[in-house]
Amino acid sequence: MSFLTPLFFLGLSALAIPVLVHLIQRERNTPVEFPSLMFLRRVPYQSVQRRRINNWLLFLLRSAAVVLTVIAFSRPFLSQTPIQASIANAGAREVVILLDRSPSMGYGDHWQRAKDEAKRVIDGLGAGDQATLVLFDRSAEENVRATGDKTRLRAAVDAAELSAAASRYAPALRLAQSLLSRSRLGRLETVVVSDMQRTGWDRPEQIQFPEGTTFTPISVAAEDPANVSVTSVTFNRTRFANEERVIVTAAIVNRGATPVANVPVALEVDGLDVATSRATLLPGVTNAVTFPAFTLAQANVRGRVTAGTDALAADNEFRFVLSPARPTPVLLVVRDGAAAAESLYLSSALDVGSPRQFDVLVTPVSKLTEPALTRTRVVIISDATIPGTMGPALRRFVERGGGIFTVAGSRGGPLDAESALLPGTLSEPRDASSARAETLGVIDFSHVVFELFKTPKSGDFSGVRFFRYRPIVPAAGDQVLARFADGTVAMAERRVGAGKVIAFGSTLDSNWNDLVLKPVFVPLIHQVARYLGQVEEQPAWQNAGQVIDVSTQVAAFTAGGTDERVTSAMVVTPGGDRQTVGGSADGSVDLREQGFYEIRPQGAAASGRPFVVAVNIDPAESDLASMDAQEFTAGATGRASMTSGGASTVVKPEESERRQSIWWFLLLIGFGLLVTESVIANRLSQRPAIGI
Amino acid sequence: MERHEQSGPMPGARFVDPKVLARIGNLELLARHVVDGFINGLHRAPHFGASIDFAEHRGYVAGDDIRRVDWRLYARTDKYYVKQYDADTNTNFAVLLDVSKSMSFGSTGVTKIEYARFLGACLAYMAHRQRDRVGIVTFDEEIVNYVPSSAKHFEVLLHTLDRAQPVRAGRLRAPLEKIAEHFKRRGVVALISDLYEEPDEIFEAIKPYRFLGNDIMVFHVLDPAEIDFPYREASKFQDLETGEEVPIVPESLLAQYRELITAHIEALRAKCSEIRVDYTLVNTSRPLDDALFNYLANRERMMRVR
Repeated sequence: MSFLTPLFFLGLSALAIPVLVHLIQRERNTPVEFPSLMFLRRVPYQSVQRRRINNWLLFLLRSAAVVLTVIAFSRPFLSQTPIQASIANAGAREVVILLDRSPSMGYGDHWQRAKDEAKRVIDGLGAGDQATLVLFDRSAEENVRATGDKTRLRAAVDAAELSAAASRYAPALRLAQSLLSRSRLGRLETVVVSDMQRTGWDRPEQIQFPEGTTFTPISVAAEDPANVSVTSVTFNRTRFANEERVIVTAAIVNRGATPVANVPVALEVDGLDVATSRATLLPGVTNAVTFPAFTLAQANVRGRVTAGTDALAADNEFRFVLSPARPTPVLLVVRDGAAAAESLYLSSALDVGSPRQFDVLVTPVSKLTEPALTRTRVVIISDATIPGTMGPALRRFVERGGGIFTVAGSRGGPLDAESALLPGTLSEPRDASSARAETLGVIDFSHVVFELFKTPKSGDFSGVRFFRYRPIVPAAGDQVLARFADGTVAMAERRVGAGKVIAFGSTLDSNWNDLVLKPVFVPLIHQVARYLGQVEEQPAWQNAGQVIDVSTQVAAFTAGGTDERVTSAMVVTPGGDRQTVGGSADGSVDLREQGFYEIRPQGAAASGRPFVVAVNIDPAESDLASMDAQEFTAGATGRASMTSGGASTVVKPEESERRQSIWWFLLLIGFGLLVTESVIANRLSQRPAIGI
Repeated sequence: MERHEQSGPMPGARFVDPKVLARIGNLELLARHVVDGFINGLHRAPHFGASIDFAEHRGYVAGDDIRRVDWRLYARTDKYYVKQYDADTNTNFAVLLDVSKSMSFGSTGVTKIEYARFLGACLAYMAHRQRDRVGIVTFDEEIVNYVPSSAKHFEVLLHTLDRAQPVRAGRLRAPLEKIAEHFKRRGVVALISDLYEEPDEIFEAIKPYRFLGNDIMVFHVLDPAEIDFPYREASKFQDLETGEEVPIVPESLLAQYRELITAHIEALRAKCSEIRVDYTLVNTSRPLDDALFNYLANRERMMRVR
C-alpha cells in the first residue's frame, strides 16, 4: 500500500487532541472561586490522577477517528493486489545487465573490471533466472536477449568492445524498463555496470521501473583519474604566394586533479610531423598550443594533434580534415555602359573576407553568355534588362542548381520570356513621400538569408530608408522574404529546379536607399550569395556517434577523365570496413568509430582524391567526474533506494480509481466512530455537576 | 444547647427564603419582617425584662450620648464617665461580623456576607425591640468598623451592616483581641463568620470575651457548596482571600474534603460545647429561623440567670 499525499500524516499530531480533551481542556482556564483552599490543600495532590484517562472507550474512539481521517486524507492506494505482491517476492529473476561501452570506459583497466563485474552478475544467476545483456553508449543495443544460458552471456561480454560514442544513460535505462515491463518473471533486476560518468546525464531522466525492480549500480570509476585531452582545434588561414597557409591552435585540457608538466603536444599532417611542443597543464585549465604554419596544397588533408600519454588514450588524439578554401564564383551583371561606381558597393561587399569567400566577375549584360554561366554558381543582376535570348540559358543555369539574385532598379524586368524565373512581377517604381522614407516592415527571419539577424542586437533593418522602390507582386508559390512598411513585397524567392531566384525591389547603391551604408549590408549580401550558391562548409571534424549525409560529396565525384557523375561511393571506416553509399543505398554514414572515414567513388574507373571525414570522441567523454551509486540510483529512478517502488505498468483509470477508493471507507468509518463517541459522551455528560 | 435540625422550617412559623430577602434593600424593613413573622409564629412570647438600677460607670467612648456623662464624677476625677443603669437596657448586644473576602462567596444566589447581614440585622432588631443596647464590630484582618453598643445605635448598626463589603483577607484573633478591651460589661456577643481558621485559633480569639463574662453565640455561616462540594469538572480553584490557585480534580478529593469540613464543624461544635459557647451552623440556603431561634433561646436563658 502506498499513499498519494503522505504529508497528511503530519495530521497524526492531532492525536493529541483527544488527550487534551481528556486532560487539559477539562481543566477550565477560568478558575473557580472558592472561599478558602484551607481544606482542599490538605488533600494530597495527585498529579497522576490528573493524567489518568477517565474514559478509555471515549479516548480510543476519538483517537481511532483521528487516525482513520488522517489516513483517508493521505489517499492510500493499492499499487498491486496482495496476491501480486506475494508472487513478486518469490520466483525466478529477470536481470537486465547494462554494460557501459563508451570511450571513457577505456580508462586504465575500467573496461576489464566492468566485464568482470558483468560476468560476476551472470554467474550469480540461478536456475530459471534470465538475463539480458545491453551494451550502451549514446544508444543502447540489446546484445543477448533474455536467456538463462550463462555461457552465451559470458561469451557476449567477452566479445563486447568499446565504442567511440559518448555515454548516455537514458536510452539504456528506458530499454531496461521496457524489457522488465514485458517480463513474466516475478523478480526484476537492473544492473548498471559503468564508470557513472556525470556527463552521461544531460537532463533529469527519471525512468519508471516496474514496481519491485531492484536497481543495482556497479561503479568501476577511479577515485582521482588523471586525464589530458585535446578538445578542439582552431585554424588561422592566410594566403601567401597563391597558397593557403594554416596555423593550427589546439586546446588541451587537464581534467585531473594534479598539474601535469612537460606534456608532449604534437601536430601531424598527412602522416608527417609538423611540430612537437611541450606544455605544463594546470588542473581544470584549458591551455592553447599553437603550431607553426603549414601549407595547405590540396583538399582533404588529414591532421592529427596528440597530447599526453595518460590512461585514457582515446581522447589524447584529435583528428581534423582541411581543404583549401575555394571562393564561390559570382557573376555580377550590370547594365551596359554602367560606371564602375554603380557596382562598387556590391563587388566590395563580396570581396570582404579572409580568405576571400567569393570570386566576383563583373560583366555588362550584353556580354552575358551561357558558357559564362557554367563557370559561376551565383548570378547577381543589378539594374539591368536581360535580353530575351538569354532566358533559356538562365533557366537551365538555375535548374542545374545555380542561383540568381536580381536587383530591380529602374531597368529590372522578367528574366525569361515565360516569366518562369522571376518571383512574380515588378511594379512601376514608387517614390516615398517627401516627409517620410519607406522602411522594411516585415522580415522573415526564419529564412536562411535573414536567420543571421534573428537574435536581438545582431542586425537592425529598421533604420534602412527606401526613397524609391519597385514593389514585387509575387505569384502563387513564391516565398515572400521581406515587405515594405506599406505591405508591398520588398524581397521574394522562387525555386526553379535545383536552384533559386531571389528578387529585390530596389537597388543596391546609395541612390534608391541607404541599405548599402548600413552595417547589415555586407553580411546580408554574403548570406544571399552563400544561400543561392548553395555553399556548404565542410566541418573539420565530427563527433563519434553522429550520422552524416554524404550524398552531396558523392554527387561531386566524376568518373575518371570525363564529366560523368558517379552515383555511388564506397565508405571505408577507420577499422577498414567498407560500405556502399549513394545509388540504391542511403547516403548516410553512421560514424561509429574514431578516426578517418574515407569516401571514394565506386568502381575502378573512378578517380580523384577521396573525401575524408575526421571523427573524434565526444569531448564530454574526457570529463571523468563520476556520480556515486546513490546519486546515480536517484537520478535513474527518482528514488534513493536500490529498490524501485514506482509502477510502470499502465493502469486503467477505472482500476486506478478503484485502488484509491479505500479513503472513502476510512472516512466513513471515522465518521461513524465520531457519531458513536458523541452519543457516549453525551450520556456520560448528563451526570449532575455544578456549573463550571 | 439544643441542636436544631436543618432539614426544614419550624412548624407554624412563616420563614422567608433568603433569596427573597435578598431583594429587600432596606435592612430594617427586612429585619422587622423576619423577626415579627418569626416571633408571631412562636407559641409563647419571649420575656422582656426591665430595670432602672444603677449598674456602673464606664469610660466615655466616642459615640456615647453626652447626656449620660456623669459630670459630678468628671468634677472629681477630671475624666469622662458614663453612668450605666440596668434600667436603660437589659444587656449589651454586639455583633462581631466577619467581612473578610471569603464571605463574598455564594453559590445559591445569596452570598455569605448578605446572609450574615440579614442575620446580624435580625438579631440586632430583636435585641433592640427588647431594649438591649446594640453595637457592631466589622473586621477582616483588622477592625473595619466599631459601633459601641447603645440603645440608640440600631440605625448606625444597620448602616454599618449595609455598607460592610468583603474586600480583604480575614483573621479572627488579632482584631477580636483588639476590640475585646471594649467589652468589659457582660453582654451577648454574636460572632458571625465562616470560621476558616483552626478551631484552637478561633477559641483563642473568643476567649477574652468569654472571660469577661459575655455570652457568646457563634454563627458559622457556610454556603451549601462549601459543605457538599458539588463540583464535578477538573478546574483550577482560586482562594478568594489569597488569590492562590490550585488545580483540583473534584472527583478524586470529594470524599476527603467532606470528611475534613465535617471534622472541622464537629471540632468547633465540640470546643464550643466545652466552653459553653453556643454554636450554630448556618447554611445560607436555609431561612434564618435556626439562627434566630438559637438567639432567643440563649437570651431567655440569660434572663433566667440574671
